[in-house]
Amino acid sequence: MNTTQHITAGIDIGSLSTDAVILRGEQIIAYNVVPTLSSSESAASLAYDSALESAGLAHADVSNVVATGYGRTSTSLAGKAVTEITCHAVGARRLFPQAMTVIDIGGQDSKVIRLSDDGRVEDFAMNDKCAAGTGRFLEVMARALDTDLKSLGHLATLATQDIRISSTCTVFAESEVVALVAKGVPKENIIRGLHRSIAERIYGMVVRLRAGAPFVMTGGVAKNSGVVTAIEERLGTKVLLPEEPQIVGALGAAIIAAKHEH
Amino acid sequence: MSKCSGDKQVKAKNCDPCSPPSVDCCSSAVTTEQNDSPTLWFENMIDNCYDYAIDAKSNSRPIVGIMCEYAPRELIMAAGGVPVCLCGGSAKTIPAAEDYLPANLCPLIKSTFGYHITKTNPFLEMADLVVAETTCDGKKKMFELMAETKAVHLMELPQKQDDSEAFEHWVTEIHKLKAELETRFDVQITPEKIREASRIMNRERNLRRGLAGLMKADAPPLTGRQLLNFKSIISGIPTDLEKYEEAAEILRSHSRNGDMSSRVRVLLTGVPVVHGAERVVDIIEESGGLIVCMENCTGLKPILEDVDLNAADPIRALAKKYFHIHCAVMTRNTRRIDYLRALTAEYRAECVIDLVWQACVTYDIESYQVRRLAEQELHVPYLRIETDYSPSDSARIAVRVEALFETLRSSYRTGQPCRK
Repeated sequence: MNTTQHITAGIDIGSLSTDAVILRGEQIIAYNVVPTLSSSESAASLAYDSALESAGLAHADVSNVVATGYGRTSTSLAGKAVTEITCHAVGARRLFPQAMTVIDIGGQDSKVIRLSDDGRVEDFAMNDKCAAGTGRFLEVMARALDTDLKSLGHLATLATQDIRISSTCTVFAESEVVALVAKGVPKENIIRGLHRSIAERIYGMVVRLRAGAPFVMTGGVAKNSGVVTAIEERLGTKVLLPEEPQIVGALGAAIIAAKHEH
Repeated sequence: MSKCSGDKQVKAKNCDPCSPPSVDCCSSAVTTEQNDSPTLWFENMIDNCYDYAIDAKSNSRPIVGIMCEYAPRELIMAAGGVPVCLCGGSAKTIPAAEDYLPANLCPLIKSTFGYHITKTNPFLEMADLVVAETTCDGKKKMFELMAETKAVHLMELPQKQDDSEAFEHWVTEIHKLKAELETRFDVQITPEKIREASRIMNRERNLRRGLAGLMKADAPPLTGRQLLNFKSIISGIPTDLEKYEEAAEILRSHSRNGDMSSRVRVLLTGVPVVHGAERVVDIIEESGGLIVCMENCTGLKPILEDVDLNAADPIRALAKKYFHIHCAVMTRNTRRIDYLRALTAEYRAECVIDLVWQACVTYDIESYQVRRLAEQELHVPYLRIETDYSPSDSARIAVRVEALFETLRSSYRTGQPCRK
């Protein structure tokens, strides 16, 4: 099937951000990331419409749209919904054909996806009921430390001592952080401890899945260099980082849309 | 049956599992066709059971609550009693239970106990006795608290299934229950009465197995949820048995439902899905799956074996049947693994989903062996879902279930249609 002429789109409606990717054939011609805020439907429209606009396209130019993410079934823009697990696998494989494992840490989920040689999802692990070790977890901790989310990665490099945060539960870890602050432990050390606790959790999932290198990291938390470093240290190997880790799910959705457009 | 049982289907559909029927149940019109449908009959299951229990009570039959499939229903029936399952499936009663029980306890135990505290399960309120067993630690210790304000008879369940002395102890425990029932209700439980009750229960198990067996078809005539709805909280209700026969007849003649053959065939194992707590079942079937086999206490597990009607000692025959139930409290629980192996093949399941109620230690740990069986021996994907009765993680469970189905249909055929 010759798809090079076709325009397709993927929309990843996450809990914190909504991302849209427009493909012409296999090429990304536009993408956009917006906060999801209170309505996944309007976030999807906003992300999609402005991505289309920057590509100089209209709805009618797009032959197929696939939605993914938490809000995947709540938009009328897409013809089909596919889970973010499949989409992240497809997107990560497109960016890194050698990838065997995808580590995706998003707003309220963390997942490890093991791929087969031909790129299919073989197995995956995902956090169950809580937001432990996710983007939301880091948001809460940044607030508890009176720090900007974006500076966590840099601050972690200034740590002088390795401390252990034993709770990965957001609620318990927050009290643990507050107690450490009260004891006068430097903020930098606490931040590094938090990153290490996330890495420990991811490592547990990797071991359970018997997943192996090469690892790709996707999702918003991959933008935090402190978490990436902690995960690399724990895994004992470098991880592959997409230029824009947040749009990998939407990219996968757009690729699936291209394969299945009719 | 009660003259007003037929028109309760509308409200019964979404009713609180244990709330008593409202008094205006005779006010709306009802057609005979609706009355005849077994599906509609079981949609009214709680109301039907309530009518049956009230009727039994007014005829001086004792109501005996049970909370586990190890409770030998036949013995209760042989004592003239009505065995009613009291397992709670509602999140609503959990906060009340947490005033007494730890929050980190299985939701089934908390919900059941919460009904006791809030006095909102009419079946528990009318129960003259509760038969309890030392199964898991959570239930065992909860029963101690329940016994402070309710008549509870505790059976000590041995947990080494293949040990002959353990079995002899179980026989003794059944004799003790018999003595308790005879004294408390001033009846004589004769061997013939036990055999008669066993005959009824064998028939019920056989009919339910027959309905479950319909799921072996390429395009089964019903969903797993519809099959689950056929489970009644009271065993041996004559109308239920008639409706089972009717249902089997109607469903066998159903035309093949093409949609069913394209769904992913799921074997669901793990903890029981009691009335009111069917959320995960619905998520699985709304995500493109079809639960062809439910290997748990609300599915096939307790009905796989019958009671030997020709045994010289009917008590030992009962003991044998019940001691074989492969709950995760047993050690080692190899029967569960053997049944899972056989049922996966028999029902041609494409994946195994293992449901674990949060803080259910025995099923939680045993999931390791189930995963190993599925992945390494049966070579079918395995998904473990640990949750409780609160719906907060429904979206997350749906992601995992849909992703599992996507891995099985790598062409993404199972992608869900978006809202129009």
